[in-house]
Order: sequence, then C-alpha cells, then structure tokens
Amino acid sequence: MTALIGGVLLAAGVALFILEPVFSRRGAALYGGDDDFDEGAARRRVALTALRDLEYDRATGKLDEDDYEGLKLELSREALVHLGSGLDAGEGEETEAARAARQLEDEIAQIRQAIRAGMQCASCDQVNIIGARYCGHCGERLATGPGPGDASSDGGAS
Amino acid sequence: MTILGEVALWIALPVALWGTVVSFVGGRFRRSDLVLSGERTVYMLTLLLVVVSVGIIAAFLGNQYEYRYVANYSNRELDTYFKVAGLWAGQRGSLVFWTLLLSVFSSIAVFLNRRRNREFMPYVSGTLLALLSFLLVVLLFADVNPFERMGFTPVNGRGLNPQLQNYWMTIHPPTLYLGFTAFAVPFAFAVSALLTNRLDSRWIAITRRWILLSWFFLTNGIIFGMRWAYEELGWGGYWFWDPVENASLLPWLTATAFLHSIQIQENRGMLKVWNMCLVVITFLLTIFATFLTRSGLIESVHSFAENLRIAYIFLGFMGGLAAFSAVLIVYRLQSLRSENQIQSFLSRESAFLFNNLLLMGVTFAVAWGTLFPLITEGFFGETRNVGPPYFNSVNIPIGLMLLALMGIGPVIAWRRASRRNLRKNFTVPVLAAAGTLGALALLGIRHGMALATFTIAVFVMTIVVTEFWKGTRARARIAGEGRLSALGSLVRRNRRRWGGYIVHAGVVIVFTGLAGAAFDVRVEQEIAPGEAMSVRSALGTDYRLVYESLSHSRPRVATGERENDWRWTALLTVYRDGERIGILRPERRFYPVMESQSTEVGIASTAFEDLYVIPKEVDLESGSERVTFEAKALPLVPWIWYGGLIVTVGALIGLWPAATVAAPAAARRRSRPGPLPAPAG
Repeated sequence: MTALIGGVLLAAGVALFILEPVFSRRGAALYGGDDDFDEGAARRRVALTALRDLEYDRATGKLDEDDYEGLKLELSREALVHLGSGLDAGEGEETEAARAARQLEDEIAQIRQAIRAGMQCASCDQVNIIGARYCGHCGERLATGPGPGDASSDGGAS
Repeated sequence: MTILGEVALWIALPVALWGTVVSFVGGRFRRSDLVLSGERTVYMLTLLLVVVSVGIIAAFLGNQYEYRYVANYSNRELDTYFKVAGLWAGQRGSLVFWTLLLSVFSSIAVFLNRRRNREFMPYVSGTLLALLSFLLVVLLFADVNPFERMGFTPVNGRGLNPQLQNYWMTIHPPTLYLGFTAFAVPFAFAVSALLTNRLDSRWIAITRRWILLSWFFLTNGIIFGMRWAYEELGWGGYWFWDPVENASLLPWLTATAFLHSIQIQENRGMLKVWNMCLVVITFLLTIFATFLTRSGLIESVHSFAENLRIAYIFLGFMGGLAAFSAVLIVYRLQSLRSENQIQSFLSRESAFLFNNLLLMGVTFAVAWGTLFPLITEGFFGETRNVGPPYFNSVNIPIGLMLLALMGIGPVIAWRRASRRNLRKNFTVPVLAAAGTLGALALLGIRHGMALATFTIAVFVMTIVVTEFWKGTRARARIAGEGRLSALGSLVRRNRRRWGGYIVHAGVVIVFTGLAGAAFDVRVEQEIAPGEAMSVRSALGTDYRLVYESLSHSRPRVATGERENDWRWTALLTVYRDGERIGILRPERRFYPVMESQSTEVGIASTAFEDLYVIPKEVDLESGSERVTFEAKALPLVPWIWYGGLIVTVGALIGLWPAATVAAPAAARRRSRPGPLPAPAG
C-alpha cells in the first residue's frame, strides 16, 4: 500500500514537473546562448593555433626557413580571412572567441620577438634554433635571449 | 522499495515517449514550452531510473528471491558489495544500468547546454529520449524485465558466477558502460547537426570533449577488464580475443580513429562525411558491444547465455539506426563537402589518414573474427571459431604500423613536408631505433615481432621525449620561465597536443609490455609442504618458491552462517635471486551454492616482471596436501598497467577544461584585438 501511494505521488510529481511549461507557457531558449558560436571566430582560432605551433616548430628547429615561410603565408591568410569575426559582443566586452584569438596573437608576437632578439643572427639573418650559442650559418656569436635565468639553464643542459 | 522501483519503470516509459515527441515537435515548430518540457523529461527520467535501480539493489540486499533476476545472480551468503554489483551482473540488470547511465549523461548534456548551443538542443534531447524510450520498451516487453516474479520464492538464490566474485567486477563493467553510454551524446549532437543542417565546425567543437570522455572510460574499462582477466581467469594472460573483449575494443578503435581524423576536419575542413560516419559507426558499435556482452549470441567467457530474442531486437534497432543515419548523411552531402584536398603524400594529413585506414583495418579484422562463428553458421550450417592465432597474425603487424605512425605523425608538417624536414627530424630517432635493434640482436633476442615492437617503441619514445624537451626549452627561452614552469605552461597552452603525446607514450609502454609475452617462462610441478620449486625468468631472475603449508578456511563458520565459499590457501615463500621477497597465498575456492570452483592466483610483481603462481590441483584425498603449482615468470607485464596509467593521465590532461585565463583589466579594455603580428625579419 505504501508502495502504491509512493508510486502515485511519484507519477504525479513527475507529470506536474514536465507538463508545467506547457500550461504556464514558459519556454527554453531556442536560439543562441551565452557564448554564441561564430564559425569565423572558430576558424580564426584554429588558424592562429596552427600559426602559433608553426612558430614553435620553427623555434625548435623542426621546420626550416623555406617550409616555415610557405606555411606561415597560408595560415596567416586563413587567419586574416576570418578577421573581424566574433570580435565584439557589445559595450567594450570581449567575447570568449576574441579573447582567445588575442591571446594567441600575443603569444605569436612574443615568439617572433624572442626569435628576433635571441636566435636570429645579427650579421647574416639566419634564424637559429633555440639554445644555439653560435650562428649555424656564419659562426657569429648570438645575442642572449630575453628571459632572465634561462641562459644559465641552457648552459646546464648543453 | 522494490515495488516502487517496478512502478517507476512503468512510469518511465510514457514519460520518455512524451519527451521524445515534444522535443522533436518543439524543435520543428519552434515551441519553446515543448522544448523545455522535453528537457525536464530528461531530468525526470534520471530520477525514475535511479528509483528503478535502487529497487533492484534493494531486492538483492533483501534476498528477495521471488524475483527471477535476483534468484539467478545472488545467494544469501554473497558479500554485500557483490549484491550491490548484482545490478550489472546479468543481462536484465545490465540493461537497466545502461539505461540509467544513458539518462545521467543525457541530463548532464542538457544541463550543460541549458544556455548555449540552443539550436541543437531540442533534437539532442529528442534523440537521447528516443534511445531511452527504446531501451524502456525492451525492458518492459522483451522478457527481460528485472522485476519479473517466479510465482514461488526459492529458499536461496543460485548464486553469482565465481569468476564475477572479484573486486574488478564491481569496477570494470561500470567503467566500460560509462564509455559506451557517454558516446550517445556525440551521436545525438551529430543527428541534431544533420537535422538542422548546422554542419560547420560547431558540432565538432561541442562533441570533441564528450568523445574524449567516452574514450577515456572505454580505455580504462578495457584495461580494467584485462586486469580482471589477469587476476581472476588464472591462466596468466590478459587478453584472449574473446568476443566480448573484442566487442569492447571495436568502438574504442573507431573512437580512436575519430579523435585523429577530427583534427583534419578542424585544421583543413576535410573528411566531414567520414567523421560523421565514424560517430555513427562508433555509437552503433557501443550498442553492439552492450547487447553482445550478455546476449549469448556468441559463446564467450562473459556470456552466461540467456535469451537470444533480445539479440535480434538489438540487431534490428542497430539496422534501423544505421539506415536512418545513412539517409540523413546522404541528404546533407552537399553541406559536408570537403573544403580542401591533401596537398602531399608527405604531410600530417596523410599520416592521420593512414592512421584511420589502419584503425579501420583492425576494426574490420576484429569484427570479422568475432562474427566468424555466426557467419559460418549462417552460410555453412556449422559454427567455426577463429582463435587468437588469427587475431594476432592480422592485428600485430597493423598494430606495429600504428605504433610507428605515433612517432611519424607528430613531427611531420601539416600540408606538405619537405625531405629536409624529414631528414632533420627523423635522423636521431631512426639511429636510436637502429641502435636498439642491434643491441637486442646482440643480446640474442630472435623473436621477430618482439624485436620490431621494441625497436619501434624506442623510435616513438625518442620522438615524444624530444618533442617535450625541445618544446620546453623553446618555451623557457621565449617566455623567460624556468624549465618546470615552462613545461607546465607548454602543456596548458595546448592540452590536446601534449596530452595526446602523453597518451602516445603510454601506448608505447603498453605495447612494450604486450611484447613481453614472447618471453614467458612456465614451470609446472607437484610439490608437498616443505618442498620447493624454481623458475628462471627470461630476464635472468631466479625465483624459488618454498611451499610452506596448506590451510583450509571457512571464513564465517564461527558466526553460525553458511559460508559463500570454502578456501584452500597455500602459503608460499618467494625468494628472488636467493633473497626472500615475500609470501604468496594462492587459493582454490569451492562455491557450494554454485557447485563450482575457482582459482585465486598469487602474483609477486616487480618493476620489470611478474611471478604468477597458479595452484592447479590440490590433493585432498591422500591427506598429503600435495599441490600442483604452475609458476610463470612474465616479463614486462607490469608495464601494461603502468602504460595504462600514463594513457589515463594523458587523456585527463586532454579532457581537463581549459582554464579560462582571466584577462587583465587593461587588456579587457582594449576594444578589439591587435592586428596580426608582423612577420619576423
């Protein structure tokens, strides 16, 4: 008997909860949402991520200059095509996608800066891999990198 | 409580049907109230199925043997946690448990998307509710109702199969089921994307983490299953190419393929149709695995053969889903066009593509071998089985090629790789691998497959370690960080990539462990208490086992209860290279209720090998207490479990939600992001 009452109460509760929206005409959102998806922004993010990885690959010596230049051109073009997508959500607020894109861009700039400052040979423009102390092309001694403390750890590793 | 569970099961069906209808209608005719009602249905179904499950567990704990399911899978003397695990011990309970987990994941999916991806949600909840409705119909009307009564109440139940009375049994099936059911969510999103024709990169972005979650559970479920087999089945192996093992492997293989090919779609806008097919195939395979496990369609160590009707119902359901998905995909072919073409054979795209082909090759080979008995019976009227030799001879070479690709893929460039690029990146790993091969050959190792595995493993490991080392160094230099924090930020900035590399490293270690099987040594000997036996492992370790005594225990006899099992425990002192390292207590058990026996093996594990002791026979009649022991020295087996752990860590890194980096206030004020940085030089 208790089970029967329990069952009836359970059924009634469930029915009330699921039918309530229909009677009260309350509804769930049909479109969009908090982080409205933007195809362009997503593409841009993918292209920027690939570009960032490309910079790392160049810095670590995985890719040489020719491969790097060719791929950079293609990826930059893809990122540029989708520039302007998902940038503004309104009053000065940055959307999630825009922030992610900006962070990636900052990181890319940082890597390129580091390469210019530390790995690119001042006399022949050859880009050397991270950790190199002398230019692989002309033998010139390279400037030290921008970071504090890393020169000593590099020395320890090599 | 049990009756309430039964009532809840009956309430669940109309509720699920209502939800299915209103979700689809609400989505189609833009009725937001109906959509909300549908989403609430998902939550309510979870509640109802919790009540159903609690009802079943209550019947087990209360020894209510008037229920057929309880009587078949329990007995009074069974340990409490095995009674709780009774929920998934047999076909009926497993179905309820599957349905429960599916509803839980459905609720999570609906809850997480209550304010986003709204265009998808009506069809997502509709699809999930349709699946739940189907399962509820099966539960209620296909002779598998867990609440079916027998008309009389037996004094005691028939007991749980002894092989299932192992703690892995409480962990392994739920983990696997979590993997199976989690995959329903990506499937629902795929169907929703097809129905709404929103086939851009969005559904991939939404489902990627769900698929990784499912993959994570499947991987762990499979490894737990291997561990269960290793500890409980007592033959010293962990994988037998058993139909049910294979069935769990199939969706894992296709999900793995998907996790790789999805990257081509994200980066290059290619393989959209293929990815859609992989989602559908994987989902169908999870259903296949579920019903094969307990249907008895194919003989296996897992199938405690029950009714076959359910197998046909599920096959029909799979067929229907396959046809429905195929029609949808064909209908949307136009939207699934590829945006690019592969530029070069030497590129990461083609490495990924090759990876997919190989994984599909393994999938096909495993499926063929698994279904072979059915196929021969259907066409020739006699059941023929293919055994481990077939699976090994086909899958080991493909597996090794996949292993090699794990090294090649990460360092080969996207789009097109130049020969210079290849030379630059592969010289050191190839030399390391060649050195390994030479050294192993000099050591006298002649087993071809093992040599190949170790060589390729070194090749891949060299690449993975180099990637980490170079990446960390570059990061340290660029950001001016210390090595450790550079490694941390490197991984954090691209969890998928570095998490993936960690998974690869884990898989390499697992493969190395599997190859160790080529060097197993076994010794079988009958000895009396006080006597000893020796085994010398392939790694050169000498083990000596001294058989001290045999004890016969009846654990709960003192309390006046009947015992669930009788145990004969042998006490063995183990010496490694003359040094005493510990005691093993292998057992023979007799289960009076089931009238069957089982073996509990003794395992002494070190970092590089296991000593595995099986008490094969106990001489009780002559009173001499002589026992026939089989001792096995199994090199590298522990590496399978270590590798599995590393795979888990890597998958968790990939799964971990990307920390939303709080943008500094100054940066936030910048109304738009800066322009693309100027190229260097």
